[in-house]
This record gives sequence, structure tokens and C-alpha cells, in this order.
Amino acid sequence: MANDKLFNGLPWIEPRAVYVHIPFCAHRCGYCDFAIAVGRDAEMEQYLEALEAEAARVIVPRPVATWYVGGGTPSLLPAPLLARLGTILNRWFPLIAGGEATLEANPESFDHEKASLLREIGFNRVSIGVQSFSQVALDALDRPHQAEAAAQAVKVARDSGLNVSIDLIFGAPGQDLPAWNRDIELAVALAPDHVSAYGLTYEKGTPLERRRRSGLVLPVCDDTEHAMFGLVMEKLPALGYQHYEISNYSRPGMESRHNGVYWANEAYWGLGMGAARYVGGERSVNTRDLSDYLRLALSGAPTARPGERFEGLEAARETLFLNLRRARGADPVEFERRTGRSLQSMLPGLEKVIDARLLEIVPDGTVRLTPEGRFLADTVAGEVLVKAGRDD
Amino acid sequence: MTDTRLIRNFSIIAHIDHGKSTLADQFLLKTGAITQRDFRAQLLDGMDLERERGITIRMHPVTIYYTFKNERYELNLIDTPGHVDFTYEVSRSLAACEGAVLLVDATQGVQAQTVANAYLAIENNLTIVPVLNKIDMDIARPDDVKSEMEQALGIRPEEVLGASGKTGQGVEDLIAALIERVPPPEGKVDSPLQALVYNSHFDSYKGVVIYVRVKEGTLRKGQKILLMGGRTEHMVTDIGQFRPTPTPCEKLGPGQVGFFMASVKKLEDVKVGDTVTDALYPSLVPLPGYKVPMPMVFSGLYPSNNNDYENLRDALARLKLNDSSFTFMPENSEGLGFGFRCGFLGMLHREIIQQRLERDSDLDLVQTAPNVTYEILTRKGEVLVIDNPQKVPDAGQIEEFREPFIRINFLIPTSNIGDIMKICTDRRGSYVKTDYLSPTRAQLVFEMPLAEVIYDLYDKLKSVTHGYGTMDYEIVGFKSEDLVKLDILVAARRVDALSTIVHRSTAEVRGRRLIKKMREEIDRHLFEVVLQAAIGSRVVARESISALRKNVTAKCYGGDISRKKKLLSKQAEGKKRMKQVGQVEIPQEAFLAVLETGD
Ligand SMILES: Nc1nc2c(ncn2[C@@H]2O[C@H](COP(=O)(O)OP(=O)(O)O)[C@@H](O)[C@H]2O)c(=O)[nH]1
Ligand code: SF4
Repeated sequence: MANDKLFNGLPWIEPRAVYVHIPFCAHRCGYCDFAIAVGRDAEMEQYLEALEAEAARVIVPRPVATWYVGGGTPSLLPAPLLARLGTILNRWFPLIAGGEATLEANPESFDHEKASLLREIGFNRVSIGVQSFSQVALDALDRPHQAEAAAQAVKVARDSGLNVSIDLIFGAPGQDLPAWNRDIELAVALAPDHVSAYGLTYEKGTPLERRRRSGLVLPVCDDTEHAMFGLVMEKLPALGYQHYEISNYSRPGMESRHNGVYWANEAYWGLGMGAARYVGGERSVNTRDLSDYLRLALSGAPTARPGERFEGLEAARETLFLNLRRARGADPVEFERRTGRSLQSMLPGLEKVIDARLLEIVPDGTVRLTPEGRFLADTVAGEVLVKAGRDD
Repeated sequence: MTDTRLIRNFSIIAHIDHGKSTLADQFLLKTGAITQRDFRAQLLDGMDLERERGITIRMHPVTIYYTFKNERYELNLIDTPGHVDFTYEVSRSLAACEGAVLLVDATQGVQAQTVANAYLAIENNLTIVPVLNKIDMDIARPDDVKSEMEQALGIRPEEVLGASGKTGQGVEDLIAALIERVPPPEGKVDSPLQALVYNSHFDSYKGVVIYVRVKEGTLRKGQKILLMGGRTEHMVTDIGQFRPTPTPCEKLGPGQVGFFMASVKKLEDVKVGDTVTDALYPSLVPLPGYKVPMPMVFSGLYPSNNNDYENLRDALARLKLNDSSFTFMPENSEGLGFGFRCGFLGMLHREIIQQRLERDSDLDLVQTAPNVTYEILTRKGEVLVIDNPQKVPDAGQIEEFREPFIRINFLIPTSNIGDIMKICTDRRGSYVKTDYLSPTRAQLVFEMPLAEVIYDLYDKLKSVTHGYGTMDYEIVGFKSEDLVKLDILVAARRVDALSTIVHRSTAEVRGRRLIKKMREEIDRHLFEVVLQAAIGSRVVARESISALRKNVTAKCYGGDISRKKKLLSKQAEGKKRMKQVGQVEIPQEAFLAVLETGD
């Protein structure tokens, strides 16, 4: 890439991406176990101050190729604070020409004013948390917005010249296959550049999971969930969206470059409460408690516990597990350059998933999930993390 | 050394929670052995696990002094456990006494262990001093309870004292009654030594500590002694009594209770029930010993990781040091690899051993469902003792299949008689009799197979009687029954460790319930897993666990890859306590499924 000369460090040592976490939400959705803060909007201003203090620790501006502002609900920030976020990012993490800059937005907190402000700051992409166009599913997920609001938000973004990604969730209680089919069609009708489609997970400790345990909520049956995943994998590509990562689809050339950094197991900066970073070969995660974060960041204390470093086989397993999220899988040349180990050497230990035809080795040496393997990506990932390249 | 005339040796026997520990503390308090500050510290219950469960297993003798009518008496209080699994240990401590305080909660009345322990005391020719405890409570009903005691045990109401362990009321009168009613021990200072070993324990600093009750003669420091059963000679290095903390002394005379050390290296060298005598002036006859208790409940114990086999063996050996009633033998299962078949006195004992193993060693273990001992008479006329269903020979070789039967005694509210009758008949029990202790309490007696009791009978009893029912049982012998081995096949492969022995009439129902339960416990695999229950070659039930079809979790938000990684690794490593049998991973819960298949 032309911009490579801007960076002289190895891409898994020197970050070319920055993630910023904005934890505020108006309400906690039933399935959500993210690092969020509800009912604490009064602390937004202080939060921006804390972000600024944390950012300033990089000492000199660090140009990056991607920004990703996630949450929480970043679009909930009022315009002046969004502007301030822009100032922080532009000062400490200037975006290189042609960079990708995404902000997550929820339909109910996104309007023309914010959209044009985002453009001014330098954002060129929004990821809209639509989840579903069916009120039944939205209610089951305990999402606050109305089904119609989503389409409106996409239109607003388009009008302002932002690229649009839509998040969808399948397998919400009460959703059936026709309803999911309709969600896909309605999403495509809005002509987004990118679609993320996730199967609902009942995360421990969430209200939805508690309701399931007490029998108040009935998850969709396995066969339906399987069919739903199958449907989206078949349908979106047929409509012009390439399936480039297990849960992600895009128009040609519109893949999320920021997420590509994660799947390549490359470095990234992370700022804000609960944010993870991978810098200089070390992974660390900031505190998930808002008050702690504010106190630590504002007093100049470390916001994360000492990080972890992975070396040798463990680092190689990690890279392989991440690479396998991509449709193209792990490339032998790239893999060896990244990990110092041959991709071939990682195969012993994976017989179980290879024999079950979940993982395949293409003649050119590429290792990737089979179409069947995509349904069981986590099973394969677990085997990779525990057994690939067998050593124990 | 105290004159035997001034010695009294006694135990307190009671149902759990009737206040034995509290009363014991009162004795210590009233005799100045402890201060008010230490009161309720429950000195007698030394081990955490037992304390949590309110039972005493380790028997600590405690020596206290009390002045009565101008004479200083030495009172030795010997503690007894209060659970049916430990009846054997109760009789051991009773054999070291001349008297027993029979303690009955004045609000609860006579309970199953009250009766069981009182009979043990009577069998041991002990003088019983009956006491109603908790008379400080408003809801105490002393007259009703006295008449229950009369009905159930033939105790005369006028002999019954009243006391409160909580307030101390009546405790001095009780001590006076003990001194007046319990006979002093017999025995002469200069007879050849005869001391009964009634317990021993291993202390990592001091080595083997031996608890004795001297019957005849004198035990002295420096003395050369002979353990009559083991035929080994040792030199006594230390002697002491618990007053209540270990206090050294020079000698123990007839009737006295205490401990000694004699550089004995291994606990196995000291048999409980053995007689200690003087090696140079030996007694000609040993004291009557104890019958060694037979473990009645067995289960297989396997390390989840086969490499831990040696560690498990070491851990079991360490446990065995202090608990001779527990047994273990190497065994080998096709499915589970190498492990041990362990024998326990009962289900509580099994649970305690398992918890201790987990607490003291860091082993991840898989345990098979417990079973009782069976006897098989073969066509050839041999009698096989079967402590493991895997060892059952082919049906064609079996002439008679016998199982242990018990006589079980329930003390329950009369309103629950019907419920208990049903529970027992469902478990192949046969009715023996009902006795009414009062208009509201009855004693119900059944005979039934031990195998039907070990799983859940106790829990059932507690739940139908809302905690007001109690039970106790004793083994009455083996009976021939129509028994079969029920095998479980996982993915067409018989897993020997899952086999159980059941009555033919219930085999199908059990098989169905068992594999249904297992189906819930075994995770989905990448392929379909078929579960079958079979008797011989006849399959009686079948279930299948469909293949895992989808396993993709939500996004990796904010790039928190470490978290995701941990989650996935954990999933792949599998649950703890899991055994891989062929291609199938079977968790501990599935091995114990049989425990929960009762209705
Ligand atoms: N009110 C009252 N409570 C008592 C008395 N003796 C014991 N308790 C209580 O009864 C419970 C069981 O007593 P404990 O000595 O542990 O019983 P153990 O299981 O027989 O050793 C405890 O909560 C005691 O505090 C008593 O005389 N009066
Ligand atoms: S909006 Fe998103 S981050 Fe906020 S509660 Fe809902 S799911 Fe969680």
C-alpha cells in the first residue's frame, strides 16, 4: 500500500488503527453484556476529558489508517462533545489520506446535524445498530428504537455522504425464518455498503439470559438458527455482498479495514473504558468500570492492568484463530511472516476438525473454514487455540 | 494417677442438633476446664468438615475435674459421632465408657438416632443417664417427650433430668447424677496392663498418636509395650490427657483415658480395638476387640487426566492414614482407564472423603455412581463378592444373585405414615411394624435392600416430613433377588463404568430414565451420539444427542481478543471432571445420573 511508508514498524508491533470506546447508552438492551454505562450521561463531558488525558499519553501524534468509535452508543454524544472527540482524534491519531473512520450509531440518536458534523470531523463511515426491522424481534431484544427509525437513519447517513454498515441480529426469540428473510431483504433494499449479521448469544448475566433460564423466553430451535445462518450466507452474496468474514458481508472493496486489523492479528490502539489495545506486542484492557476509568485516566494513573504477551506457539495459535474468521482464511506466506512458523506446522492437533470437514487445506496451502465449518466456527477456534501445532 | 473410685467415664449420645456439643461445652465450663470466652467454641469437633455438618467423627476424649461432696472426681467425656454411617465408631467409644448421657431435645422428642444410640449403649452394658435438653425453650414439652422415652426405650420418667446447654441450668445436677449413678471403672493398678486402643491418628509432627482406655494395670512413660494383635513392641515416649488441651502426664492407671506415643511409624501398625500390654509382664488375654466395619458403599474414583493416577493414589493413602474405615483398591475400566474402587461406610462418609480429597489435593476427579456389595452364587457353587458391577459374570453362570438387606427404623409424625409406606414399598421394602410413641409420633419399621436406601431415601424422608422425620438402619444380611446388570452403551460402545445392578422389574424404567438424564448432561458433539441401555444383549432404551450444528458467538467487540480467546479455549478444554470415552466426552454429572433417576 502506498501509505506503508508512513509506518516504519511491523504492523503487529506498531498500531495503524485506533479504537475508541464510548460507553453511554440510554438503556440496556436485554442481550447486552458490553462495557456500558446507563443513566450516567451527566458524566459525558468528564469522560471526554479522560479520553483526552489517555490519548495524550502517546506523547507524539500517531497517524493511523483506521478509526473505529464503538460503544455503547457513540451517537448519543451531543454535538459539542462529538466535536471534541474529533479534536482529540485528529490531534493524537491523525487519519492518513484514504483512511477509514467509522462511528457506531443507533437509529434513535442519529440525525442530519450529527451526520454532517461527523463528515466535518473526518468520519466517512457509520455502523448502524439496526438489529431487525421487525417490531417483534426488537421487543424481544429489548431494543428501544422503533422499526421504522432504522430506515430513516440509513437515509440520513447516505444523504450526508457517509458509507453505511448495518448490524443485524438473527435468532431473536419469536423470530422465524420468513421474518429473518424479510429483515435481510429490507436491509438490502436500503443499499448499505456493508452488513454485519450476528446470531444472538445469550451472554451470562444479561437480563435476556436470565429470562431464558427462568423459562420466560424461549430461544429459537437449533434447526431454525442453523437455517437462519445458512440463509444469510446464501442470500447476501447472491445480492452482491461478499461474505468476507464469518459475520460480515460487503460490496466489493467495502470491507471493514478496521476489523481486518483484528483478524490479521495486527496492532491497534485502544482508548476509553473497557477498551482493549494491542501495542508493541502486548495486549491489555482498560477497566470496565466508569468511575474507575475516570479517576484513573484523569489522575494520570494506568487505566489497564499490566498486559499479557504471547509468544511462540501460543501467539501462532492466536493468529490462526483470528485469520480463520476471514473467508479467505490463513495464507501460508502471510502467516509465516507474521508468526515465524509455517502454517503447515499448525495442522497437527487439528485432525478432529479436519476429519469432520470443518477446516480445509486448499492446494496453495491456504487453510480456511469450509462452508460447514462456518456454522461451527467457535468449535474450530477452540480447537485451534488449545491444540493446533500440538506441543503438550 | 487417680483412684478408680473417683473416675467416671461417659459419652453423650444424642440425635444431631439435640445439643450434644453445647452441653459438652457446659461441662467444660462448669468444671473450669475452659473460660466463658471459649464457650461454644465446640472444642470437641476438631475437623471443619464435620463441624459444618454438625457431626463428630474424630473422637477426642476430654478429661475434666469436678469436686463433689469434698472429693475431686476425674470425669472422662468421650465423644461419639451422630450419623448412621458411623455407628461403628459410636460403639467403639461406648466400649471405653461405663455410662452415657442420653440427651433428648425437649422440643423435638425422640428421634431415630436417639433410639439407635440408646440401644448401642444398652448392648454395651452402660448405665444410661437420661436428660431432656433445651428446657429453657418455651416450646419444650417435657412431659410428652418423657412418655416417648418411656414408650420407645423403657426409661422411667422419674429418672429423667432436665437441662439447658444454653443457660447452664441443670448441668451441675447432671454431673452429680453421673457421679452417683454411673459405676466407677473396675481394674487394679498392679495387674498386668490391658489398655484398649479405641482410636488413633496420624500427626505429621508427632507421628502416630494412640488413644487408649486403660482397663487393668498401669501405662507408664518409658514402658516397653506390646501391641497384642499386631505383635509389635514399642517404647512409650509420651503420655497425656486432653484437659482439654493435650497435657503430658507420667502414667495412666486403671479406668483412665488418654493418649500416648511410642514412635510407631505407620498408622496401619496400630489396629483400633487392639490391646496394649506390657511387653515384659504381659497380660495373657487380650481385651475383646471390635469387629472391623465392612464398607457398604463403593464407587470408582478416576483422575480426569490419566497422568494424575499416582497423585490420586498418594492422596488416597494420605486419607487412609486417618480413616481406617475407608478402603481403596486399584481398578481398571475400559472406558475410564486406571483408577480406584473405594469403599465407604455409607453415603455421608463417601461425601466427606470426596470433599476432603478435593480440599487437600488439587485433583480433578470423576466418580462413578455408588453401589453396594453383592454376592453371587455361581453355577459351580462358588460365592463371589461383587463390589463393582463390572465384575458381574454372564447371566448364564449365575445361580443366585444376592444383595444386602437392612432393617430400617423411621421416627416420623403419624401424619406421614402413608407417605413413608409408599416410599418404602416403591423401593421394594417389606413392612415389619408400626409403634406409636405418642398420638403424633410413630416408629415405622421396614426391611428393604440397602441399594434402595443409599441414593436418595434420606432426602425423600426429610422432604415429605418437612424435616421432622428421622431414620436409622442396620444390615440384616444378604438375600437372593432377581437382579440384573444394566449396561449403558455410548456411541455403540459399552461403558463399563456406567453399568449398574438393578432389580429386573425396574430395569427398563431405570434404563430409560438414566439415559434420558445422561442425554441432558452430555454436550453435543460434532456427530450424533447414541445412548442405549441394555440388559445382556437386549436394548431396553435408546436416546440420541443430535450433532452440534451451529456454534458461532457474537462479535468480538472493541477488539477484546483476550476475552474471546479465553472463552473459546475454555469451551474447547471442556468442562472439568470430564472423561473421554472413545470419541465422546462424558462429564461427571452423567456418571452420577443414576443417583437422580428416582422419582
Ligand atoms: N435454646 C436452647 N438451644 C440450645 C440448647 N442446646 C443447644 N442449643 C442449640 O441447638 C443447636 C444444636 O446444638 P449443638 O450443640 O450444635 O447440637 P449437636 O449437633 O447435638 O452437637 C444449636 O443452635 C444450639 O445453640 C439449649 O439448651 N437451649
Ligand atoms: S445500544 Fe448497544 S451497547 Fe447499548 S445497551 Fe444496547 S446493545 Fe448494549
